[in-house]
Amino acid sequence: MPGMNSGLNPADPTLVAAFRSALFHQGAIALIAIVFLWLIWATARTWRVAPPGASGGAPGADTAEARGRRLLRIGFGLLWIFDGILQAQPKMAGGLASQVIEPIAASSPTWVQRLVNWGGTAWSYHPIQAGAASVWIQVGIGAWLIVASRGFWSRLAGVASVGWGLIVWVFGESFGGIFAPGLSLLTGAPGAVLVYAVAGALIALPEGAWRGPRLGRLLLAGLGLFFLGMALLQAWPGRGFWQGTVDGKPGTLSGMVQSMSGTPQPHFLSSLLSAFGSFGASNGFAVNLVVVIALAALGAIFLTGQPRLVRYAVAFGIVFCLADWVLVQDLGFLGGFGTDPNSMIPMALLFSAGYLALAPAAQEATVPQEATVAEEAKVAEEAAGLAAAGVAGASGTAAGNGAISNGSTAGDGGTATGDGPSESDRPTAWGRRLRPQALGAALATARARSVAAVAALVVILIGAAPMASAAANRTADPILALAIAGNSTVLNLPAPTFSLTDQNGQTVSLASLRGKVVLMTFLDPVCSTDCPLIAQEFKQTGQLLSAQAKNVELVAVVANPTYRSTVFTRAFDRQEGLATVPNWLYLTGSLSQLSAVWQHYGITVENLPAGAMSAHNDLAVVIDPSGQIRQEVPADPGPGTSSTKSSFSVLLSQYARQALGRS
Amino acid sequence: MIRGLTRGGLAMACAALLAACGSQRAVVTSPGPAAVTVPLGTSLVTAQGTWAIAVMGGSAASNNNFWQLFVRPAGASRWSLVTPEGAADNGGLVAAGASTSLVVGFRPSQNLTYSPLATSADTGKNWTPGLLYADLADSPGALAISPSGRTLALLQDGTIQTAPTAAAASAGQWTPLTTRKALAASAPGRSCGLTGVVAVSFGPNKDPMAAGSCTRPGVAGVFTDAGGTWRSAGLVLPGKDAVQVLGLTATTGGNVALLATGNSLLAAWWNGTRWTVSAPVTASTVRALGFGADGSAWLLLGNGHAETIGGAGGSWQALLSVPPGTVTLAPQGTATLAPGSSAAAEGYDALAVSGSKLTVWQLHQGAWAKVQLITVPIVYGSSS
Repeated sequence: MPGMNSGLNPADPTLVAAFRSALFHQGAIALIAIVFLWLIWATARTWRVAPPGASGGAPGADTAEARGRRLLRIGFGLLWIFDGILQAQPKMAGGLASQVIEPIAASSPTWVQRLVNWGGTAWSYHPIQAGAASVWIQVGIGAWLIVASRGFWSRLAGVASVGWGLIVWVFGESFGGIFAPGLSLLTGAPGAVLVYAVAGALIALPEGAWRGPRLGRLLLAGLGLFFLGMALLQAWPGRGFWQGTVDGKPGTLSGMVQSMSGTPQPHFLSSLLSAFGSFGASNGFAVNLVVVIALAALGAIFLTGQPRLVRYAVAFGIVFCLADWVLVQDLGFLGGFGTDPNSMIPMALLFSAGYLALAPAAQEATVPQEATVAEEAKVAEEAAGLAAAGVAGASGTAAGNGAISNGSTAGDGGTATGDGPSESDRPTAWGRRLRPQALGAALATARARSVAAVAALVVILIGAAPMASAAANRTADPILALAIAGNSTVLNLPAPTFSLTDQNGQTVSLASLRGKVVLMTFLDPVCSTDCPLIAQEFKQTGQLLSAQAKNVELVAVVANPTYRSTVFTRAFDRQEGLATVPNWLYLTGSLSQLSAVWQHYGITVENLPAGAMSAHNDLAVVIDPSGQIRQEVPADPGPGTSSTKSSFSVLLSQYARQALGRS
Repeated sequence: MIRGLTRGGLAMACAALLAACGSQRAVVTSPGPAAVTVPLGTSLVTAQGTWAIAVMGGSAASNNNFWQLFVRPAGASRWSLVTPEGAADNGGLVAAGASTSLVVGFRPSQNLTYSPLATSADTGKNWTPGLLYADLADSPGALAISPSGRTLALLQDGTIQTAPTAAAASAGQWTPLTTRKALAASAPGRSCGLTGVVAVSFGPNKDPMAAGSCTRPGVAGVFTDAGGTWRSAGLVLPGKDAVQVLGLTATTGGNVALLATGNSLLAAWWNGTRWTVSAPVTASTVRALGFGADGSAWLLLGNGHAETIGGAGGSWQALLSVPPGTVTLAPQGTATLAPGSSAAAEGYDALAVSGSKLTVWQLHQGAWAKVQLITVPIVYGSSS
């Protein structure tokens, strides 16, 4: 898939160092921002005098969060944080596209590959920003889910989980591989992160939906149908799951298990997987039969919606999921490129939450409905900082005033009642909300968890903003070029003179180019590897320079002792689309003339025997308008992907602009 | 009712998911032009000597396969490596000889899209660079050069280009002679149902010739260009199978063609007016083929078998099973062998390849004997 793979070594030290640096800096910014936010909040609380009766409220009248919702929120919050930490592995920035995304998409239909490539290209062009964004967005979403337990901000966290989950499901998991052959729940269908999105959607529901057993029944019914479908898929003949071996090779399941056992991991794990893979190869029919029956049974029981039956099914399901998570999915996150612990843990959380939602706990307190509504509105306004503390709607009743969730203390100043505006004066107008006094009051009365939710959102933005900015730039990050070829050498030497013949037979000397920046390299006109790539980089450099290009000359000198006449330079220009580039010169001359230029510029050129192309070092130099060499740039183009070519072009254009700036 | 609709909707969604999961990815087949592929490894004889082309080195997938050109000068007994330098030949080498020179074409590979040329008049000691700004066909018969220096080049898309002189060829001054479509649409092309062109040559009158594969049973696709009009050379074989021309070359008296029809291979000789066809030899796999200067021809078949024929009127002679790794045969010298002579069966070298080593075998008293070993200094990784 062109564009998506930078072709670089994921462990390249330059990339890894840049990734670590970006994470460190963004982490520091996030920390500063969080501390700053906390200081503002603490200061506002200290300075603001609580209005009389502010501490009013119905003590003890607290509505506990639904257990199922809490399980999802905290469970998936922790999962998102864990996934964010996994994204910080050193090789992720340089390797996610090539080692994870591309292999997953490779077995999917072409349209999936094109779609994934469109998104993956952005990653390969800006791997550092993309890698760091993935870390902070996921950590931020996870923290947000955990700290925002109730109300608008909690539901918004669920929405964020849905949004990011779907993005990862499409572009990172190629729709969970559901369009690729070999789909099975055991191996991760329908995509782990889709389960995150479903959980997020459930968290985003109004809390009233969690009060009765209906949501639990619906959720379990959906899961029941899903498990039945997966059982049918697992049982479908001809997909290789019933056979432990096929033509002497491991079947579908045992083959995957044995390949997973080869992943870098602790020896005891790989041994366990290897043993299970061997067992599966020898007893493929029995293993698959157990799986089919287990999935069918789970599905059927979930469909019944009977709490007693579901309880046992959930217990069995958790054991089944854990077994699959260890024996088939190999914990999901090992090997250096694991992005999540795969699907079994999220799946277990989901159906456990469904069971808990099916049987709401007795300890959920009963609270007047209007207090619950008012309480939600109160939390929303506090966290947004957009309402005066004395909002009538939230303070309309004593129960409403006291119905503060999250267990906030009086010290939080969580309730603002009585002295605030009456209900008829409820400040719904944005203007009133944005008054400094109102903002200060809102900030002072905000709960700690609301502030923490805002802090989590700040973490997300710190990750997302640089990536959004980078993605808007259609050129690649120069870090790729630096990783491939290394840093340039800053010089200040007179450029050796030359007088050669251009592709049109005209004599060109370095002196005739005085007054312009000269970007010069050495190209073999019959080269089949690097030189066409370097030529394209020079061509793109000219395009990037746009209006400044008229002050820059793009020059190549022939680097082949045999195929060096203008016949070949013109053929090369034609092949690379350079014939019409006005500031492009491809220079050649006699062997002695060329040899002198090669020697003066440190280029070694020699013919190699036995069918090899001429050998020469890849180098470019930047000559300023006064004729001084300012940069010596290693020009090895590396894999020559669209991202690396773009990166080199950006780097060369930067050097050209620097040289222009000095003139 | 709502609950039922919800469950029904969920069921439909799962069913759709199953349908998507159960479907296999569609196998995309893209119809391409009819491909006629004959291996590039071959040998040819000119006045300078006998030349052989063989691929050596590592895998093509890693661009570590390098094509080599060897020559045994006329009158000499030993082979030398004379691969032209200055261009990578991972894409293959094609050669054509005239009385005083040999022209070699480098098939493009990787990021190169055109074909450098090299011409030598001193058995490969020195080479003059040339250019064909196009993709030379993947066939040993893709180049032809007449004694006057006029050169023909068959391109990968079936176009035939011509350069009036060797100097023009070196200077990249080629002009189109015809295309596969135009040839297929011509009267003789339609008569035979031409599907692909595989070789170019010059006829007895030095007119350009082209040969390829036809669909009409029994009709061999051999054509001559007489003043801009293409005519069939009139080669028709008995039988109900389509005929594929595997190779075509010029001799002093005319042309020789190697043909495949059904499971049979044949040789045919043309003196400009009349064809003489050999008896068939049964074979399904051709690993290499080539011609001698005297109208002789050879076939390297699967399972180590080889057949040779001395000339028009001759019969196929089976060679002793060739040594393992044999990639091409090469006639010994330019002596004319009497048709039917058993000596014809012994007049060939077998060139075997193992990595970077070329072993030359000769038949002596009914057995293959190793007579020369050449270690080629392949530069692995130079094209990566």
